[in-house]
Amino acid sequence: MQAVIQIKDLNKQFGGIVVADQIGLEVHAGEILGLIGPNGAGKTSLFNLISGLYAIDSGSIFLNGKPLAGMSTVQRARQGIARTWQHMRLFPSMSVLENLCVATRHFGAENILNLIVRPLSLKQAQASTEQKAMHTLERMQLHGLAHSSIGDLTFGQQKLVGLARALMNDGNCLLLDEPMAGVEGAAYETIKDIVREEALSGRAICVVEHNISFVKDLCSTAIFMANGKILERGTVDDLLASKTLETLYFGGAAA
Amino acid sequence: MEYIISVLVLMGIYVILSTSFNLIIGYGGLISIAHPIFFAIGAYTTGVIAIHWDLFAPLTLLIAVAVAVIFSLMLSLPSLRISGDYLLITSIGFQLGLLEVIKHLGWTGGASGLGNIPNIIDGANRSEMFALISIGLACLVFLMIRWLLKGPYGLLISAMRDDEVAFSAMGRNAMAIKLVIFAIGSGCAGLAGGLYAYYYQYVSPEQFEILQSSMILTMVVVGGMGSQWGPVVGAVLLLFLPQAIGFMNFPPSVMGPLQGLIYSVLVIAFLFLRPQGLTFSLKKGSQ
Repeated sequence: MQAVIQIKDLNKQFGGIVVADQIGLEVHAGEILGLIGPNGAGKTSLFNLISGLYAIDSGSIFLNGKPLAGMSTVQRARQGIARTWQHMRLFPSMSVLENLCVATRHFGAENILNLIVRPLSLKQAQASTEQKAMHTLERMQLHGLAHSSIGDLTFGQQKLVGLARALMNDGNCLLLDEPMAGVEGAAYETIKDIVREEALSGRAICVVEHNISFVKDLCSTAIFMANGKILERGTVDDLLASKTLETLYFGGAAA
Repeated sequence: MEYIISVLVLMGIYVILSTSFNLIIGYGGLISIAHPIFFAIGAYTTGVIAIHWDLFAPLTLLIAVAVAVIFSLMLSLPSLRISGDYLLITSIGFQLGLLEVIKHLGWTGGASGLGNIPNIIDGANRSEMFALISIGLACLVFLMIRWLLKGPYGLLISAMRDDEVAFSAMGRNAMAIKLVIFAIGSGCAGLAGGLYAYYYQYVSPEQFEILQSSMILTMVVVGGMGSQWGPVVGAVLLLFLPQAIGFMNFPPSVMGPLQGLIYSVLVIAFLFLRPQGLTFSLKKGSQ
């Protein structure tokens, strides 16, 4: 089966700081891959390389077998790469529903001529986008807050909106950057259920997460990164039993 | 009465200028000071066409808008490709450089200006007609920008201004939106320029100096940057200000610098004391 995301010999460094060192991995449809490792390991940088925010030094990234080389961040998102952010990066001047509506993969009004030439079909497309956004918010149990400002939401609710916004892109690659950081209670369970459902629907999901129990609950496989390198890979249980992880997370000499 | 009517004509022109500048700076977050040069391009295009060819006036105004849009792309395409801050630097060069070019060309009338622009409205009610057209066009520009901002394109503009990185990572093309905003704003300034040329029948480079930029910016800041009614209120208020100072009978050598000083003080005072401007609505801050 063809991998949704395939990375081969990926390298990136900023000056002397190596953020990706010969990275190679594959994530298949329906798989949830956990990325764990200490701060500065290169996990978020890997997401930035996949989504095109950073240019790679060498190596290659494929999405559904198609090379992403030369594609901008915008083009990659349109190919189906959706992501969340550690610090959410929501649009504070807009309502929850509006945050979701602008995140659909194809937004007809982006071509300003459509506003004049095809106003009716644009209106229909907009209505169906709103419907999809409301449905996504219902899944998050946030539909009652659809017209609220982002600033009126709790931190956990904002995390949910960040995830909901990423789900508006109906592509099959989802990158989640610390979806659980600072989240507890009902929002925690909701995020877990939704990530699982999305994987079952055929998305390939990568999760950067420090919450090991979340990774253990959800991820079929995981990789352990440090200094831009993949040090270990396997099931979460295998990694948790690893001496390398223990040393880097809890102290002692680096492996 | 004639004097009040001429102020009304100017009011329409400045409402177009400030509303379109607000689209660029207030909504788009694009910092440019070159708005007066697009005003000049519209005025000169209209003047040159009116003098040399006997075209239908609305068509001439449309050409003036088109030329301003083309020049706006010449400025925005290279500078926005790099990053937003470069637009400010290149806009300064564009404003100063292009005005110098205008001053040294024969067919623009050089430093002494372009005169003898044919009159398109004859009769005793000429000024009243111009006031009506000017205010009518200002309303049209205001409604067009309002329609743009209230619709799905407005959502894109807000999202882009809030967080361009997240916006791009969702597949939205921030660059294209910036170019469109800049082109629409500059095209509107070209329209204002065309109207100006037809009304005064004379245009000269000093009418489009960088001081105009501070005047338009003051209108936007005082009225409320990023608010739809703000630039309208700002333009009306600020147009009455020179008239008020005029009653003090200062010599012309004092009036110019004094006006510039007042605009600068107003911008600084508003930015410190009421950055949201006069018309800011508490509801979302965008009405």
